[in-house]
Amino acid sequence: MTRWAMVADLRRCVGCQTCTASCRHANATPPGVQWRRVIDMEFGEYPDVQRAFVPVGCQHCTDPPCLTVCPTTATKQRADGIVTIDYDLCIGCAYCAVACPYQARYKAPRATFAYGKATAPETARHDEASIAVATKCTFCVDRIDSGLAQGLVPGVDPEATPACVNACISQALAFGDADDPASNVSRLLASHQHFRMHEELGTGPGFHYLWDVADDDAGVEKVS
Amino acid sequence: MSFGPNPWQQTSWDARAAGNFIGGGAGSGLLVFSAVSGAQGSLRAVLIALALGLVALGLLCVLAELGRPWRSMNVIFNPRTSWMSREAALAPLLLGSGALALFGVAAAVPLAAFLALGFLYCQARIVQAAKGIPAWRDLLTVPLLIVTGLTEGAGLFWLIAPSWGQRTLALWLAFGVLLVLRFVLGVLWFRRLARSLQPRPLQAVNRAGHALNAGSLLPLVIVLGVLATPLTPGWSAALQALAGAVAVLGGAAFKFMLITRAGFNQGFALPHLPVRGVRR
Amino acid sequence: MTATSVRTERVPTYCYQCVAGPDLLTVKVVDGVATEVEPNFCAAGVHPGGGKVCVKAYGLVQKTYNPNRVLTPMKRTNPMKGRDQDPGFVPISWDEAFELIAARLNIVRAEGLTDASGYPRVAASFGGAGTPQSYMGTFPAFLAAWGPIDMGFGSGQGVKCYHSEHLYGEFWHRAFIVTPDTPLCNYLISCGSNIEASGGVTGVWRHANARARGMKRVQVEPHLSVTGACSAQWVPIKPKTDAAFLYALIHVLLHELPRERLDLPFLSQRTASPYLVGPHGYYLRERATRKPLVWDVASATARVHDSPGLQEVLEGSHEVDAIEIGPDGDVLADGRLPGSTAFTRLVEHMREYSPEWAQSICDVPAATMRKIANEFIDHACVGQTIDIDGQTMPYRPVAVTLGKTVNNGWGGFECCWARTVLATLVGALEVPGGTIGTTVRLTRPMSHRHESVTAGPDGFMHFPLNPTDKARWSPNPNIRNAYRTMVPLAADGPWSQALGPTHFSWLFLDETPKGLPRVTLPEVWFVYRTNPAISFWDTKALGEKMARFPFMVAFAYTKDETNHFADVLLPDATDLESLQLWRIGGTKYQESFWDHEGFALRQPAVATHGQARDFTDIASELAQRTDLSDKYVAAINKGAGGVPLKGVHGDFSLDPQRRHSCEAIWDAVCRAASAEVSDGAHSHGLEWWKAHGLATKPYPRRDWYLLPTMIKRGLRFELPYQERLMRVGAELGRRLHEHDMHWWDEQLKEYQALPVWKDFPALWEAIIGQTGGRSQDYPFWLLTARSMQYAWGANVGMQLMKEVADNITGHRGVIINSKAAQQLGIADGDAIEIATPKRSVRGRAVVRQGIRPDTLLLIGQFDHWATPLASDFGVPSLNSLATMSLALTDATGSGADIVRVKIQRAKEGQS
Repeated sequence: MTRWAMVADLRRCVGCQTCTASCRHANATPPGVQWRRVIDMEFGEYPDVQRAFVPVGCQHCTDPPCLTVCPTTATKQRADGIVTIDYDLCIGCAYCAVACPYQARYKAPRATFAYGKATAPETARHDEASIAVATKCTFCVDRIDSGLAQGLVPGVDPEATPACVNACISQALAFGDADDPASNVSRLLASHQHFRMHEELGTGPGFHYLWDVADDDAGVEKVS
Repeated sequence: MSFGPNPWQQTSWDARAAGNFIGGGAGSGLLVFSAVSGAQGSLRAVLIALALGLVALGLLCVLAELGRPWRSMNVIFNPRTSWMSREAALAPLLLGSGALALFGVAAAVPLAAFLALGFLYCQARIVQAAKGIPAWRDLLTVPLLIVTGLTEGAGLFWLIAPSWGQRTLALWLAFGVLLVLRFVLGVLWFRRLARSLQPRPLQAVNRAGHALNAGSLLPLVIVLGVLATPLTPGWSAALQALAGAVAVLGGAAFKFMLITRAGFNQGFALPHLPVRGVRR
Repeated sequence: MTATSVRTERVPTYCYQCVAGPDLLTVKVVDGVATEVEPNFCAAGVHPGGGKVCVKAYGLVQKTYNPNRVLTPMKRTNPMKGRDQDPGFVPISWDEAFELIAARLNIVRAEGLTDASGYPRVAASFGGAGTPQSYMGTFPAFLAAWGPIDMGFGSGQGVKCYHSEHLYGEFWHRAFIVTPDTPLCNYLISCGSNIEASGGVTGVWRHANARARGMKRVQVEPHLSVTGACSAQWVPIKPKTDAAFLYALIHVLLHELPRERLDLPFLSQRTASPYLVGPHGYYLRERATRKPLVWDVASATARVHDSPGLQEVLEGSHEVDAIEIGPDGDVLADGRLPGSTAFTRLVEHMREYSPEWAQSICDVPAATMRKIANEFIDHACVGQTIDIDGQTMPYRPVAVTLGKTVNNGWGGFECCWARTVLATLVGALEVPGGTIGTTVRLTRPMSHRHESVTAGPDGFMHFPLNPTDKARWSPNPNIRNAYRTMVPLAADGPWSQALGPTHFSWLFLDETPKGLPRVTLPEVWFVYRTNPAISFWDTKALGEKMARFPFMVAFAYTKDETNHFADVLLPDATDLESLQLWRIGGTKYQESFWDHEGFALRQPAVATHGQARDFTDIASELAQRTDLSDKYVAAINKGAGGVPLKGVHGDFSLDPQRRHSCEAIWDAVCRAASAEVSDGAHSHGLEWWKAHGLATKPYPRRDWYLLPTMIKRGLRFELPYQERLMRVGAELGRRLHEHDMHWWDEQLKEYQALPVWKDFPALWEAIIGQTGGRSQDYPFWLLTARSMQYAWGANVGMQLMKEVADNITGHRGVIINSKAAQQLGIADGDAIEIATPKRSVRGRAVVRQGIRPDTLLLIGQFDHWATPLASDFGVPSLNSLATMSLALTDATGSGADIVRVKIQRAKEGQS
């Protein structure tokens, strides 16, 4: 089976938001709708302070709460793990938005543009179907599907890879098939210590965060 | 909008969503209480009409919040897992049976009450299934929302029924019991949340809880007062109406705040901090 | 999607909005509309950042279609200039615009290119630390054809940022900017270098790899910047005390560890450490040759520094028969003179600067400093070697970097010196893994760093110091900021004007100090890609001065705070609309270290908007209208387009007697570049470059390091003892005093052979007293830090940049420590006022843990009042509070972005 997954190496991420911006480009999302974004987290008390930058977005969970609550079946999940939204079925009730523990879903109530009136690229790429319905990261599913059709490898060949992964300037983001032990993501997970966000909720995210090399030593810091 | 790591108040559902739970909760609670009360005649008609009106108003609120209201019928497509689909499927049945009851079909009354209970249950499950909001997804949210619905229904009954002269001790006691139950559930619910919520969300939940408690304790005082103190019919009717009103307003305020002020998500958390080059 | 035929192209181009570039990208264009920016993966094999661009490049689509763009030439109709005066810009034709400008220029040509004071009548300011050149087409050719131009009215570049490092770095090791050899470095001490925000794609890429590999970076900085966040350790040092910290590290290495731990061969053979210093502090020299002497172990005598078979003694004192020569060739002593080695002098000099001494100054525990010093030397691998391209080189994987405000202004010299000395002590200067330089801007040739390493006096590199001898020094500078007169280290090359004290031009307009010709207003002032009314100090006063310039031509992207004072606005075709070829690769600035070098094309991805024109066409037209076409084309032939058109591989020169189109010019440049890159095998023209985007050839890895070239040319690093600078300073002092110029006396004190610690923080505290306040009432240090999202390129006007920047804490106000905020009753988001005795600004509080309680931080440079979008930010700027002053200027002519302030809650609703 194929299970697409994203890996974010928190040791590498510098919070530059290049992935945030590239996602806005690739998906032509309206202002403020950041399917991929990086948050800035601070821990501790002066002078013992740490700070981390964390890419977030739809986790494409194995057991997505959004799918359970969606009243219209607009939210579905593919066999390869990608959670999709059929804009034409969605009624824009935003139930999925409050069901998502990762704050990954957006509903733009009306079309808005960067400088008020639409500019030429915004006009060219405006998709009315995506207004007033739920939207979220799709793992750039169109790129994956068209890439696969051409025999390309998602996560390796840029044309078949999500835009955020392509754009990342610290190589923090990786994408691939977690069910293939030889894939880039599988090898990263095997060689590093990692966790998933809000693991205790049982959503089974398809998004993994690396924090250290794999090591059996204890004596590494945990956040209290 | 700032998407920080700390929890922030959800903005997907606003007063219109709260309106659904307020109208739907109070309306269905009223329908249940009215059926149990055995109210007859014009009182029964007024109560049922008010109940259906509140439910319908709530649904209209939700319709106003939908991004694509013209597709609203799609809402029933996922009864397999979605409590919203189930609630939406029950709604026409509830309104229909309630209308029948209004037109005098006797058997429609318990049917409508049963469907109202089901509708209330669905609403509570809708909120609890919102896994993104810790205050909502707590298990006690379900009984709390059911009980407050029933309490608000009882409150509405007591707001109106005294004017018809239809008051029984059992129903007044039932109102009191519901108030106590709502208060106790609220305290238990808040205690559970106090163990897991971060300070700001907890503060907001606390404020919502104050509204609920005020809406339970003040009427409870009146319930006990009326029981214990001999009053003229005029005075007791007025006090009973007041108690009913406060009970309803307390529940409504609680639900309004729960959705629009105390609906914090859980932000983001890192169980491990990244190692930057070498371990500390 | 409906099946209409849609024409999609991916247009390769470069981004050089900031100094961390150039980087490569492709622009997706659908039916003539630019829609997306993507990396150029075709360049992944040669670009040290995988062919990627940073977040700012993703703003380029919005930049092109921004409805706030100035899209026609405009002229001012309101003759009154001021912040509160509406300029009354009205659209005019290009013809009228050129007429207006050419008329003024031709008057200047007729009356004389310089005025009564001797200053050029035409000035041009480009800011952007040189990056605007990669967007201004052949305009440099027009400037070259013109004659003397004053490019010294600064906007903040240099003097606010890295200035001391630029000058001293290039002087000591051809390091206009100093960098760690990140791919090989294992231990990095970073004093305020916010590389994760400022290092661009290559910086972030390299440091992420280094972290993953296990490099430990210790970030020494008053606040927990993005870089501090990504470091293994954060040391919250008190602002402007980094020199004390670094001195303490040197002390530990010299006084607490066995001498054998240091790289003794490197010190003895590759530096001036063994040179004997005489009783007056100058080198002891052989009488006949005047060469500095060292003590030779084998012969037990003093011999000149470049004697064959020399075995230098590193430490000790000896009496030798010698002369000691001071300033102006004065023989200070002659005979048997006592001398001690420069190294011995250094050891003694550092004796008092212990960690215990430093801790009370910089607020870093002595134990921490001691630990860092020991970790530094533990990681230094003294004695080890590594193979680079078949050449064996020393392997020293330790480095020290400095950031802005540490390496400029008072204390900048001391920090730069200490950092470089630390490197020499373990032999980690200009070697694999160590502290290395990037490029040269003051010495030549700029495009080939190693070729700039030529022999100078005393066994050191030549450096084109501005003369300080009586015969050649002059109080009549060539431009208003007087760099040639006042700053010997600024040299006198094409970049020197912008590397002088560029605030002097502004400062002296109203009061020129004694001895310099009266600073006058230029009659014509060109401004491009720079906004000094935002980015320099004392911005309010700066605006008032700009208002007095008689004729200002601003190449305008949108209305902004500087072009508010312009007479003519010209819309140049912007990043994705214009044509230019630019050098890439080799080693350049920040962390741009390539294994290839070559060129990249920036080409129109879309048609120009409105009436905007390619800068090359604008330059050609100006040249024509001022009768300079032939000189203009000659300048292009000579290399003003980036490559000389006639070289060993061919002659692609353009006919100076003809006018050439933009495409024809760049086609010729492309051919010359192609010939250079292919060593004559090809001469591809513009069409090839448009299709391919770039072309490179290998650049040897060994050329990242200067040491082999130093060895090959028999040269030593001029460290630790600054005998030459001491002499130059003494001479400068004499020249100034001979002309009764005493206003530079404080700065002259910086010319020390071994710099002492001075109370640098006190200098900024003193300003409070001088401006009518009490120091204790202004207890906070206000600092700035880089924002990757906003820096350069008019990014403050990009909605996308604002949107994504808001995800990073601090972009919407002033960062203040949580406890400090609590004590002042300030909560997160509260309206606050930051004030000096003379000025105040308003903003919002951002309460954080990651900052010293005595420090405040304003990210970036805002306080806009004219630039669309930015003027709504409501975020204040340090620049509105900072003064522009001689007292805060160091010997190299730089200041620093640091101000003593107070902060308090402001009443809501007050503007």
